[in-house]
Amino acid sequence: MRATATRPQTRPPLPRRPSANGPLRTLIAMILMALAFVAVAGQLVRLALPSEPDITSSLSEVVDGSYARPDIVDRNGRLLATDVEAYSLFADPAYVLDRDEVVEKLSVVFPDLDQEGLRKDLANRTRRFVWIRRGLSPKTAQAIHDLGLPGLDFRRELRRAYPGGTLAGHVLGYVNIDNKGMAGIERYVDEVVGVEAVQGATLTERAPVRLSLDIGVQHAVEAELASAMRRYKAQGAAGLVLDVATGEILASASFPQVDPARPAMSLEKARIDKIASSTFELGSVFKTVTVAMALDAKLATLGTIVDVRKPLAAGPYTIRDLHPLGRPLSVAEIFIHSSNVGAAMLALQAGPERMQAFLQQLLLLDSIKTETGPVAAPQLPEQWHEIEAMTIAYGHGLAVAPLQFAAAASALVNGGNRVLPTFIKRRADAGQAKVPLVQSETSARLRELMRRNVIDPAGTGKRASVAGYAVGGKTGTAEIPGPGGYRKQAVISSFLAAFPMDRPKYLVFTLLFEPKPTDAAGGEVLAALNAAPTTGRIIARIGPLLGMLPATAVAAPAGMTFDAASPAKYEAR
Amino acid sequence: MRMVILGTLALALASAFLLYAINYDTRLLEDRVQAQERAIEEARRDIAVLKAERAHLGRPDRIEPIARAQGLRPASEQQLVANPEEALARALAAMGEPAASVEKGN
Repeated sequence: MRATATRPQTRPPLPRRPSANGPLRTLIAMILMALAFVAVAGQLVRLALPSEPDITSSLSEVVDGSYARPDIVDRNGRLLATDVEAYSLFADPAYVLDRDEVVEKLSVVFPDLDQEGLRKDLANRTRRFVWIRRGLSPKTAQAIHDLGLPGLDFRRELRRAYPGGTLAGHVLGYVNIDNKGMAGIERYVDEVVGVEAVQGATLTERAPVRLSLDIGVQHAVEAELASAMRRYKAQGAAGLVLDVATGEILASASFPQVDPARPAMSLEKARIDKIASSTFELGSVFKTVTVAMALDAKLATLGTIVDVRKPLAAGPYTIRDLHPLGRPLSVAEIFIHSSNVGAAMLALQAGPERMQAFLQQLLLLDSIKTETGPVAAPQLPEQWHEIEAMTIAYGHGLAVAPLQFAAAASALVNGGNRVLPTFIKRRADAGQAKVPLVQSETSARLRELMRRNVIDPAGTGKRASVAGYAVGGKTGTAEIPGPGGYRKQAVISSFLAAFPMDRPKYLVFTLLFEPKPTDAAGGEVLAALNAAPTTGRIIARIGPLLGMLPATAVAAPAGMTFDAASPAKYEAR
Repeated sequence: MRMVILGTLALALASAFLLYAINYDTRLLEDRVQAQERAIEEARRDIAVLKAERAHLGRPDRIEPIARAQGLRPASEQQLVANPEEALARALAAMGEPAASVEKGN
């Protein structure tokens, strides 16, 4: 033992073999353990972090997304346009087993199906996506589903719905198949308010677009125009209600109407919007402007006497009066008896330059714009000589859109301030900058004249009178230009009215296109006998809707009108 | 030492079970959230359709003939007054007239 005990000291030490039981084994175990804990901890962290969402949608062919649009409501929150979900049918040609069967069975559900086109589309097996029909109702979708055809499937998409039908169709415009606004307010929604590009059927959460229109007023105007068209056998009609202080358009109707749900209708020539998208020579209603010019330039007062006994030579034409009185007339009488000669003489006295400047001042010669797009630009005479000034004085030779004329006329009755028409409701606190266009004195005299034209037994506007509402207005019967001169008995008869005349709040402009001399119009086509009574009916109907108290009653306390004070009345949301 | 190792092992096992349980619960909750979201989406779509339908049923050119069939007429300016007293006075006058005529008859 002792020898062995000393041996290690004499012999070089052997390299020590790793021991199976030493501290090393513990170390290895601990390291493994630590690794295990690290792995557990790592897994914990990994699971705690939010995982990537599962990608489930995949399409072999790129499909354009559609657009989610905000609702359109009227000034009281009543719904005019909204998005609803609809089914769209598509085919995947790779999975279609029997093309002929598919085409045959589908043409039973869709009688107007393009069979050849569909057969061709389905024959192309490299395509994986073919639209068959979009925007189906749930009922139709169920009918197709029940056919049990392989290779057909549905996608849910948004589709624009117009619950009012043709109501305010021209103002609303229309959208295309991808729910993108193409015309009217719908286009404004795309360009200004904003829409969201979406895949599938995701409704937008944007606030609705609030129009200045009032559904009740709009319907009243449309209903009265429709009955006037029947009564006077007119080819068309148009009507406009404008707030003369703010320029808000409460109603804008044009007949024949369009259905916003059927865009093809809006492209028909006869259905073009007569309020904002067409220009017309408006006839005698323009004398309002002529008289305003004479008064504003202090060339005449209401009492100034003008000799209108002789017809006036104007180049190749002779200007004459329809019912000459055979005596000199005052300016007021020129207006009330609608004397063409008198108006032409007032224009002659002012001169073409002043006439042009005054029309310019009233924004009648510029192109104006509303939210529904540019208003049809006025058609100006090629030159401004005396002849043009004289014919424009009684409304011929200058064609303007009724909306543009109504805006100018509003300025003439509201105290002389500029009116910019709008289809969007103005906020109650949005103060309007007052831009005077004519003197308030001129406006006051015009209001007096328009009122006299309705109360005077000889006035052309007496049939527009409504008890309690102090209506004032001016008639216009304009011959429609045709090839080679003006057409006989084809007229646009119009009536420009405002009420109540002591402090006008609303302007109503009614036009009837090519009315016939029916018994209801006393066998005549004069505006006094068709457009004036129509306007009277409209005012009688919309006055109460707008909360206007008749003059016999005491003035209403502020906030008693139907509008604004109770915004939740018809609120859709 | 052995105690430490056993302890940590138990801890590891316990945390693994805990993790599994939490994970399972989370998935369950996520499913419920998704179901709720789908329900909300569906409800919103239904609301959109119902709103459109209500507006369609309430469109003036449908209401007008119905109202006229009930004997109603468009509101007249003669029905508007500035304050309740005047309305009352007018209503009393309307009621008083037939009563007066009855008295006269007697």
